[in-house]
Amino acid sequence: MLYLAATSRIIAHIRILVAQGILLFLICCCGMEHIDKLNFAFLTVETLVVKAIVIPWFLFRVLRKTHSNRDAAANIPHFYCLVIASTLMLFGVLASNYYISTMKLISPMFFGVSVATIIISLWLITIKHKIISNVIEFITMENGIFLLSLSVAKEMPMLVNLGVLLDVFIAVYILGLFVNEINKEFNDLEVSHLSDLKDYE
Amino acid sequence: MISTILIFPIIACILVLLIQNKKFNTFMVNLYAILHFVITILLVNGQGKSIPYFAIDSTNLIFLLVLSFVFLMVAIYNSGYVKNLDFPAKKISHYSFMILVFVLSMTGTLLSTDLGISWVLVEATTLSSAYLIYFNRTKHSIEAAWKYVFICSIGIAMAFVGIILLNISTGAINSLSFAELYNNAQNFNTIWLKGSFIFMLFGFGAKMGLAPAHFWLPDAHAEAPSPISALLSAALLNSAYLVIVRVYKIMEIANCTNYARLMLLLMGFLSLFVTAVFVYHIKNYKRMLAYSSIENMGILAIGTALGAYYAVILHLIGHSLAKASFFMTSGNILELFDTKRIKSVSGLIQADGKTGWLWVVSFLAICAFPTSLLFISEFLMIKEMILQGHYILCALFALLLTIVLFGIGRVVIKMAFGKISEDKAKIIEENQNKVCKLMYIPQIIMLILVFVMGVYIPPFINNIIKLAQTGF
Repeated sequence: MLYLAATSRIIAHIRILVAQGILLFLICCCGMEHIDKLNFAFLTVETLVVKAIVIPWFLFRVLRKTHSNRDAAANIPHFYCLVIASTLMLFGVLASNYYISTMKLISPMFFGVSVATIIISLWLITIKHKIISNVIEFITMENGIFLLSLSVAKEMPMLVNLGVLLDVFIAVYILGLFVNEINKEFNDLEVSHLSDLKDYE
Repeated sequence: MISTILIFPIIACILVLLIQNKKFNTFMVNLYAILHFVITILLVNGQGKSIPYFAIDSTNLIFLLVLSFVFLMVAIYNSGYVKNLDFPAKKISHYSFMILVFVLSMTGTLLSTDLGISWVLVEATTLSSAYLIYFNRTKHSIEAAWKYVFICSIGIAMAFVGIILLNISTGAINSLSFAELYNNAQNFNTIWLKGSFIFMLFGFGAKMGLAPAHFWLPDAHAEAPSPISALLSAALLNSAYLVIVRVYKIMEIANCTNYARLMLLLMGFLSLFVTAVFVYHIKNYKRMLAYSSIENMGILAIGTALGAYYAVILHLIGHSLAKASFFMTSGNILELFDTKRIKSVSGLIQADGKTGWLWVVSFLAICAFPTSLLFISEFLMIKEMILQGHYILCALFALLLTIVLFGIGRVVIKMAFGKISEDKAKIIEENQNKVCKLMYIPQIIMLILVFVMGVYIPPFINNIIKLAQTGF
C-alpha cells in the first residue's frame, strides 16, 4: 500500500494488485482451518484466480488499449503521500490494538491492516487524476474489505461470498469498459474532463 | 409464486438476447410487467409462500405493490418510447435485457430476507442500470454513468463494511437473516452496532440519494432515457430505503433508537437543505426533478426518524406515482422540444395541451397541493413534529419545503405558459407525431390515483399500509 502511494506508474500499481491477491490467498490458506471445506476451497480459488489473475490481466489489457502509463500529476508530492499513508497505517494498527482487549473475535493484525488499507484507498481515490488509477484504488479497497471480513473469526455465508465476488468482478469489468469508452470519447483519461454535468457554470 | 416472479425474467432475458427483434423485445418487457403485477396482486391476496432467502412479509408487500404498479406504467410508456428510438435491433435487445435484469434485482432486493443477499442485489441494481444510463452514448451520459457506478459502488462497499461490523457485534450468532437478527438484537454489542449503522446508512443512503452522497443522482436521472429515470426515481430509491428501514428496526430492538433517529434526521434535513440551495440554479429540467427526488427521500428519512410510519408509507406511494409521471412527462417534453434546457422551453400548453397540463398537474401532485396524497403525508408529519414538541424542526421543515416548492414552481410555470419562439415551433411541428397515446395514459392513471388516494384510500390498501407499519 505504501508503494502504491509512492509510485506513479500504473503498471506497478497493477503488479501490487497481483501481490495483494497472492497475499490474501496465503492468508486464506494459513488462517482458515476452522471453516468447512467447500467454503475454504471457494475462498482460496476466489482469491487466487480472480483477485490475483483475472482482474489484473483485465486491467493490463485496458491499459494496453488506452496507452496511459503514468499518473503524472497527483495533487500532492509523493513524499507527503508516503508520510500520510504511513500515518494512516500506524493509526490502523493502533486502533486495532486498542480494541483487541474488548473483543476476542478479531485478529488484530488483519483488522489493523485492513482498516488502514480501506482508508488509504479512499484517500488515494480523491487525489489521483487518472480514472484508471481510481479503478485500481477501488479494487485495493475491496481487497481491504475482504481482509476485514477474514479478520472476523466467523465466515460469511457461502451465498453472500459468491454474490460479493460476482458483483465486484462485474463492477470492475464495467468500470474497465467505461475506461475504454471514455478514452475513445475524450482521447484522454483525466478526471478533470468529467466535470461537465453541474449546476453552476 | 415468488419463484415465478424471479425466474421468469431470467428466461425472458435469454429469449431477448437470442431473438433480437424490436417488437418481440418490447413485448417481453411488457409481458414481465403484466406478470409481475398479476403475481403481486396474488401475493397481496395471501397466496404467496416463501422460498429460501426470499419471502413476502407485511413490510415489503407495499413496496412490492408500488414497484409492480410503477413498472407496469413504465412498460406501457416504454412501448411508446421505443418506437421513436432509432437504434439497431441489437441495441434495443440489450436495452430490454437490462431493464429485465434491473427490475429483477430490485424485486429481489425487496423480497430478500437476508441482509447479505440484499446487499448483493442492491449492487446488482447499480450495475444493470449503469448500462441504461449510458444508453444514449453521449459524452454526458458516459460521465453520468461513470459517476453513478463509481459512487454507488464505493457507497455499497462501505455498506459491506457495515455488514462486517454488524457481524462482529452479533457475537455468537452466525447469520445475516433479518428474522434472526431481530430475535437476537437485544444482546448485540452496541458500540459495534452503532458503527455498523453509520456505515450502512451511508452506503445504502448513497443508493437512496440521501444528502452527503447524493451527487450521482441528478447526473444519472438527467442523462438516462425517460422511462429509466422514472424507474430509477420511483422504484430504485425505494428498494434502498427498504434495506435502511430493516436495519433501523435492528437498531430499535437493540435500544439504540435515539442514536439512529439523530443520524436519520441529520441526513434528511441535509437532503432538504441541499435541494433548497441547488434548485434555484438549475438549467436542466430533468435535473430539477432529480433534486426533487433527493428532497422527497429526505422527507422519508425524517418521517422514519419521527416514527410517523403511516405518513412515511403514504409519502412513499405518493412520491413514486407522482414522480414517475413527472419524469415520463419530461420525456414527452424532451421528444417535443429536443432540449433539456429550461431556457429553451416555453409555451408547453400551446405546443401540446396534454403534455402541458400533465406537467402542471404532476407539479401540483409533487408539491403537495391539497387532495394530493403527498399533502396528507406531509401534513401528518408536521402534526407528528408538533405533537412531539419539535417546533424548531417543524418550522425548518416547512421553510425548506416552501423554498423548494417555489424553486420548482417557478420553472414549471415558466415552461408551461407563455409563447413558443418561431424556430422552436418548427421543431415541435416535426416532433409532434413522436408522442403517441401510450405516452399520456400512464401519467393520467397515476395522477388520478394520487389525487383520489388523497381523499379516499380503499380499505384493502389501508389494511396493507397498517400491516406494513408493524414491520417498521
